Amino acid sequence: MKHLNKTLQTLLLCLLVVATTPAQQQTKVRIDLRETKLKNGLRVVTVEDHHAPVVSLVLIYNVGGANERKGRGEFAHLFEHLMFQGTRNIEPGEFNKLVGQTGGIVNATVNDDRTVYFEVVPADQLELPLFLESDRLRGLSITQQRLDIGRKAVQEERRMRILNQPYGRSGEVMTELLYDNFAYKHGGMESMEGLDAASLEDIQDFFKTYYAPNNAVLALVGDFKTVEALAKIRKYFEDIPRQPEPSPIDFTEAEQKAERRKTIEDALAPLPQVRIAFKAVPGNTPDFYALQILSAVLQDGQSSRLYQKLVKEKELVNGVGGGIGEKRGPAAFSITTTLRQGKKVETVEAAIYEEFERLKREPITNLEIEKAKNSINGAFINNLERSLIRAITVAQYAIFYDDPNLINTRLDKTNSVTREDVRRVANKYLKPTNRTVVVTVPKAATDKTAK
Amino acid sequence: MNLQTKIRAKCKAFYALALVALLLSAHPIAAQKVVPPVSKETLKVTLPKAKEATLKNGLRVVVLEGYDQLPTFTMQMVILSGGLSDPPDSRGLASFTASLLREGTRTRTSLEIAEQVESLGATLSANSDLSSFTTTVTSSGLAQNLGRVLDILTDVVREPVFPADELEKHKTRTVSQLQLQRTNPNFLAGERFSRVIYGDQHPAGFVSSPVDSLKKTTSADLKKFHSEHYLPSNAILTVVGQVTLKEILPKIERELGDWKRGDAPKTETRAVPNQSAPKIYLIDRPGSVQTVLQLGNLGITRTDPDYFALLVMDKVVGTSPTSRLFRNLREDKGYTYGAYSNFGGSKFRGTWAANSEVRTAVTEGAMKEFMFELKRIRDERVAPDELDNAKHALVGSFALSLERPQTLLQNIITQKLYDLPADYWDTYPQKVAEITAADVQRVAQKYVDLSHLQIVAVGDAAQIRDVLAKYGTVEAYDSEGKLIKATDSK
Repeated sequence: MKHLNKTLQTLLLCLLVVATTPAQQQTKVRIDLRETKLKNGLRVVTVEDHHAPVVSLVLIYNVGGANERKGRGEFAHLFEHLMFQGTRNIEPGEFNKLVGQTGGIVNATVNDDRTVYFEVVPADQLELPLFLESDRLRGLSITQQRLDIGRKAVQEERRMRILNQPYGRSGEVMTELLYDNFAYKHGGMESMEGLDAASLEDIQDFFKTYYAPNNAVLALVGDFKTVEALAKIRKYFEDIPRQPEPSPIDFTEAEQKAERRKTIEDALAPLPQVRIAFKAVPGNTPDFYALQILSAVLQDGQSSRLYQKLVKEKELVNGVGGGIGEKRGPAAFSITTTLRQGKKVETVEAAIYEEFERLKREPITNLEIEKAKNSINGAFINNLERSLIRAITVAQYAIFYDDPNLINTRLDKTNSVTREDVRRVANKYLKPTNRTVVVTVPKAATDKTAK
Repeated sequence: MNLQTKIRAKCKAFYALALVALLLSAHPIAAQKVVPPVSKETLKVTLPKAKEATLKNGLRVVVLEGYDQLPTFTMQMVILSGGLSDPPDSRGLASFTASLLREGTRTRTSLEIAEQVESLGATLSANSDLSSFTTTVTSSGLAQNLGRVLDILTDVVREPVFPADELEKHKTRTVSQLQLQRTNPNFLAGERFSRVIYGDQHPAGFVSSPVDSLKKTTSADLKKFHSEHYLPSNAILTVVGQVTLKEILPKIERELGDWKRGDAPKTETRAVPNQSAPKIYLIDRPGSVQTVLQLGNLGITRTDPDYFALLVMDKVVGTSPTSRLFRNLREDKGYTYGAYSNFGGSKFRGTWAANSEVRTAVTEGAMKEFMFELKRIRDERVAPDELDNAKHALVGSFALSLERPQTLLQNIITQKLYDLPADYWDTYPQKVAEITAADVQRVAQKYVDLSHLQIVAVGDAAQIRDVLAKYGTVEAYDSEGKLIKATDSK
């Protein structure tokens, strides 16, 4: 107990200290996090922060689109909804209602690599999200009717986000073309059918395998006392039985030997759009950090090379967006841009490729690398302002890289990238043979613009 | 009696905890339901106070000291003129002026400004809506760079030159962006709804600059707007972060002390037009797989005494996933990914509206449920527990919003802009708590005004026109905003 108190004191003393060295503009993040593992394998990360009466709870499960199998697409996403469809204790819709009544925020998000559930509540309501999250990890009450509602919500979300938006399908088409391994390749239409085919038994099976304490990380950040909070976490979670470890995912992609290209028509799109992607590396690798800098130089902010060239100088496009994704398997480095009226796809592509060649040929300038590092530093630190973001960040780093403390060391990795590193990764990844291009053209105008 | 009612009937703070612990430890599969541990106490909140100063030229300075635990800052120059000051034949002039601030000053080119801001890892943006009475220039970054960022912000606010070539580039870029926006069904719904409520004589009837007034705008127009409105006595500079007024004031004096004073023309608030009979405005978007629905009418000004009653009513009806619309249209019917309502008020009356995106085939069902909920909030008093929950949630989310220093600063700015009482935010929880079920019903009957209800639908006209016609007269438009004559549509 004495020992615990001492830990607590230390925690209170240095909550969040960020040291800066003005000369280089480089910034250090120091967030005092504490790690605990429960008997059932649930990994717990806590960070005290008393500056506002708020606590953020994050449960992140080691399951995402990459865990889905053929014919069972969009299961991970379906669960993001089913987890709100009730348990033995909680009626459908009641989860949201209980948190909502405290003025709190509740939501979930899923991608290829993980599923995140979170609540932000006034500090005096800490018990509620702990109860609710442990309750649904213990078991869901999935009936055919609840499954149907969850399925409809997923399909409606897809209609809203993808099918009813211009260029909505383009991202999915890119994913399908870019990857060979099913883990990251699948999405889109396949998923809608997978959802319709889902039986109650499939659902129970998926839940049991992946929604297990030993397949999750809990992060708690905010206004609480660590010792007390840990006791509560133990009370709610520790007796939930562990499950056999799910088998690991094989992310291996065969080397791409030639450019891949597809042109699709889109009835809602008014102008052609070009997406260019290169298969690259998982997150938190040396090449990942170098590609982040490369991307900043190329396409972040109004002083970036592509903005100046394509938007300001040549007036070919309205804006340029993209970057290196952060994934556990090979992420893509991508660029997306929508053409202005009357401009040609090949002109835009040529202008972009010219900038790639320049990156391969000559190192970026000192000003450019400093600018890129400072932008990345500034954005990272600003983003940590909310306790929720800190909780998601440490939990995600724990589950992706087995290193929640990466929140403190990440900027060092960014700041150690050299100009030569940037040139090296440009040559390594931005090769025409490693390139995948999806061009979206307005449906009526296909004949005029597709070429 | 559902579980909710049980909780509310019985639950005192942490009453349920013992029960939960007992059930979980002893009988995890007991037949009896576990009651969730909800604290019914109202969280006590103390708000930090800002420090203020006024320069000799009239510039007001507001600093919220050290509230941010990160070594960062957010700085905002609020110019007390915006789209409401646009001449009627130059809609978008204030917005245009703001957009061009970053595109060149006497001493910096557009590229230099971008390079310097980005080199400091900072952000800098300027904005004014067509219906706003302010223009904001906002910057954020690391506290150690505050002085250097202030220098750039001052430069773009005081010395913009609106270069002709940048002006032309901005025009073509904006026209092209507008073309893209027209493909977004929500943009089309918002545009039509604003026009229906405010007409074409009020600034709020426009959500984007008309292309013709954009095209004819010259550098001289922007310079004129800038010189008339960007004045120290017509501005407030606000800073929040790891900074003190004592530290920053001398720097502000140095950068802005010699900014010449002058009198800006008063912003005139045009009266909103009389509201017309209910009608349905259908924007045809062939191939649309969803229908975007927006139903509503005129609301209140920001300072209206009905503000808190409407705030609570809006919460009950549709602000969040716990509100009626979401529970009905999404959770119960599965029509949509979400259904909400919202309201806003400025110096002129804002709107109250409900909205959703539903799949085309259930447009009729969704209309039925919307009308049901709109009538219900008018006809029936909200039950005591539903009211309590809504109020409790409003106060809780107010407490949560204090996590962000920018929100605190925004609250202070709002209090100043609308001359609200000095203790306005301190007494916010109390004002919410005072609202009764009778207040809610009274404002529902007043502002959910079915005799003037305007409905906008964006979707595939061929599939939804007849469905909508059951709810009133339908007027159809294309995605460019042009009226489709009845004879054309068949």
